[in-house]
Amino acid sequence: MLIMNGRYEDSGHEESGHPERPDRITAAMEGVSDLHLGDDLKVVAPYAATRAELARVHAGTYLDELGAFCYAGGGDIDVDTYATYDSWTIARYAAGGGLAVIEELRRQNEGVGFIATRPPGHHALPDRAMGFCLLNNVAVAAASLVEQGERVLIVDWDVHHGNGTQAIFWDKPDVMYVSTHQSPLFPGSGAAYEIGGMGALGKTVNVPVPPGATGDVIRRAIDEVAAPAVEEFGPTWVLVSAGFDSHRDDPMADLLLTGGDFAALAKTVAGFAPHPGRLAMFLEGGYDLAALRTSVASTLAAVLQHSYENEAQSSGGPGTEMVQNAQAERLVALRIAREAASKEDYPS
Amino acid sequence: MKTLSTIAVGFDGSHDAKTAVRWAFNLANHVDAKVVVVHAVGMLGRFEDRSNEKELEESVHELCDDCGIDRSRVRLHVTNGDACSVLMRMAEDPISADLLVVGSRGQGKHPGLLLGSTSLELAEHTTVPLVIVPSL
Repeated sequence: MLIMNGRYEDSGHEESGHPERPDRITAAMEGVSDLHLGDDLKVVAPYAATRAELARVHAGTYLDELGAFCYAGGGDIDVDTYATYDSWTIARYAAGGGLAVIEELRRQNEGVGFIATRPPGHHALPDRAMGFCLLNNVAVAAASLVEQGERVLIVDWDVHHGNGTQAIFWDKPDVMYVSTHQSPLFPGSGAAYEIGGMGALGKTVNVPVPPGATGDVIRRAIDEVAAPAVEEFGPTWVLVSAGFDSHRDDPMADLLLTGGDFAALAKTVAGFAPHPGRLAMFLEGGYDLAALRTSVASTLAAVLQHSYENEAQSSGGPGTEMVQNAQAERLVALRIAREAASKEDYPS
Repeated sequence: MKTLSTIAVGFDGSHDAKTAVRWAFNLANHVDAKVVVVHAVGMLGRFEDRSNEKELEESVHELCDDCGIDRSRVRLHVTNGDACSVLMRMAEDPISADLLVVGSRGQGKHPGLLLGSTSLELAEHTTVPLVIVPSL
């Protein structure tokens, strides 16, 4: 069963010519429709996250400023990120979508969650909007689960590093953040030696890959670098920052993934969840509407074990060596940090 | 007190940024420091005309000549990220800037706007001294 958020009217968060636009959600929903799920699709009512739910990951002063900025009419927050009068409300529904879907997954104790909301969230820092993101949707959901005693794995396969999510959970031992992303690319963070703070050493896993990397490289990153760390962590929930801007047709970057690659990745990542009803996928990037539609369908078909004709998987691009180097760099950083921790008597 | 050897100054091509760069160049002349002029490329940067970088470089050269600083002591550093994060990274290895300099407002920013203000965000997060140069 697929459990999905009900769409809140998001047309009020739009800026002329900006690639992060309402049509993206329409395309993602068309991808869901393409699966003809019938009774296997349950849509939960739209829900706006409360201030208390947002304040688990965002500074109160930031929430106040963002709300006031929007109600004053909005504008450009930085060169990439905008807000309108309606953005504060729409962003709270975007963050609330994850909470509502997770609540239903807990109630059903089965199924897979898909949260198609906007604006996306993984660049949003505790006290700062950036990279099209106002509120960090996946982080709000993860923090809610942690408060209920869960251990949460976030896998982020968006083409950009999720600097906001990483920063929010940098020192939090109950959340593991795994990211594959193109490098060099915005936001410039996500080096393999970024492994988490002293309170959560090893619980940040970054595998940067070069422009032109194909699906086999990303699968290798997950299988060889992330999987051992995930096994050691032992998550009770798995959330995915499912960005589809790593698709070969996406204009925002230079990776060459296909719908078939997302299907394979989704199957692997779903295998990290300890049992059914503990996997939720959050839409992040994805700006080519046709690629977004087919990628969403491929991803969800894979985790629902539903038939769908995928694009062929891609292979042969550069990056194998970079993945191997990332693993080596990560292990060295971990050793150095653990030695420092033992000397300084830090918790580890 | 530590000697200033490297100054990093944010530059988005705006009038305010030019004022900040001039201030940084004049200080560098006084203390014999190197200057890294930093331009942050956002997510939408890949859609910008590539000639933009050339224009920035020419603009920096003009500012060098205006302030009488040797171009060999100045480097334009164009890098991915938001302006605040990119400038904070300048304080780390390998640039290791001792001082950050920014204009009080960047491109398209409205006076008094707190949200998205690079200077105010830097003031909160920077690990090295920061100079905010007011607009003239």
